[in-house]
Amino acid sequence: MSLFSILANDPAQTHSWLLPENAEIIYGGIASVLVIGGLVKFAFPQFTKFLNARTERIQKELDASASDLSTAQTDAAGIRQALGDIAGERARLLADANTQAAAVLTDGRARLTVEIAELEARATADIETAAARGSDELRAEIGRVASIAVDAVLPSVLDGATQQALVENFISKVGASR
Amino acid sequence: MSDNRIEGYARALFEIARAEGTIDEVEDELFRLARTLESSDALRNALTDEKIPVARREGIVEDLLGGKATGTTVQLVSMVVAGGRGRDLPAIIDRLVQRASSAKQLEVAEVRSAVELTADQQTRLAAALANATGKQVNLKVVVDPSVLGGIVATVGDTVIDGSIRTRLDNVKGRL
Repeated sequence: MSLFSILANDPAQTHSWLLPENAEIIYGGIASVLVIGGLVKFAFPQFTKFLNARTERIQKELDASASDLSTAQTDAAGIRQALGDIAGERARLLADANTQAAAVLTDGRARLTVEIAELEARATADIETAAARGSDELRAEIGRVASIAVDAVLPSVLDGATQQALVENFISKVGASR
Repeated sequence: MSDNRIEGYARALFEIARAEGTIDEVEDELFRLARTLESSDALRNALTDEKIPVARREGIVEDLLGGKATGTTVQLVSMVVAGGRGRDLPAIIDRLVQRASSAKQLEVAEVRSAVELTADQQTRLAAALANATGKQVNLKVVVDPSVLGGIVATVGDTVIDGSIRTRLDNVKGRL
């Protein structure tokens, strides 16, 4: 056998560039069956168990989430209701406050009107009293001054002739009366 | 003093004066004394003070009237003062004057004037008052400076006031 033929019959050379040798396929197939069988026998149950556990855990989480969602929805409904109640209460309180404020305002205005009227009446009375007092004091002062003036002037005015004239005038008037 | 005592004293003085025949003078002098007593608190107190001895009070009467009034008047006043009735002397005298006037069918006309009235003025005033009141009057003139001017005449309950004092008081009242 020539060298060329020896080189052409290299056991490391396959007869196809794509397919392996038959024996290799057989051994490889058997090995694959053994490996797959081993996997099915030993790994698949574990994998299934893992998946079930995971599924269960996820389901639990889903249930918990649903429960939380429900709770949250209930809470939200409660909050919305509370908000509604608060809004209503706020509106009622505001309405009450407005009513009370209006009543207080009306009452205050009425009281102020009465007080102003009373103050005006009192002030008017005080002014009139002060004016009357001033007028009375003025009259009294005029009377006092007039009295002093008369007392000072009379002696010089009521001389003898005037006195006699007053007496004669009295006699004449009394004599003419009846 | 009760009215009966005052009346009793007045009647007694009147009868004494009439018996003495000096009723007109005594009446006039007593009337002036009564008005003097009314206007002088000091004199009234001196004649009515029980603490002053009777002799001293009689001496005051003598000093006051001696030489200015008839003896009858002085004795009558001394008698009343000595009897402790000096406080009632004006009332006794007024009653005596009324009695004397009544005896003459006259009404007492008390006239207060700021100045002395002449006899003629008194006569005309008496006639005027008689005309005004319809009564004959026994004129008793009192010089009262407080009248200031004019005359105030009182006949019974009737007062005719023509004094300057009253007119001034009216003006002051109106002021």
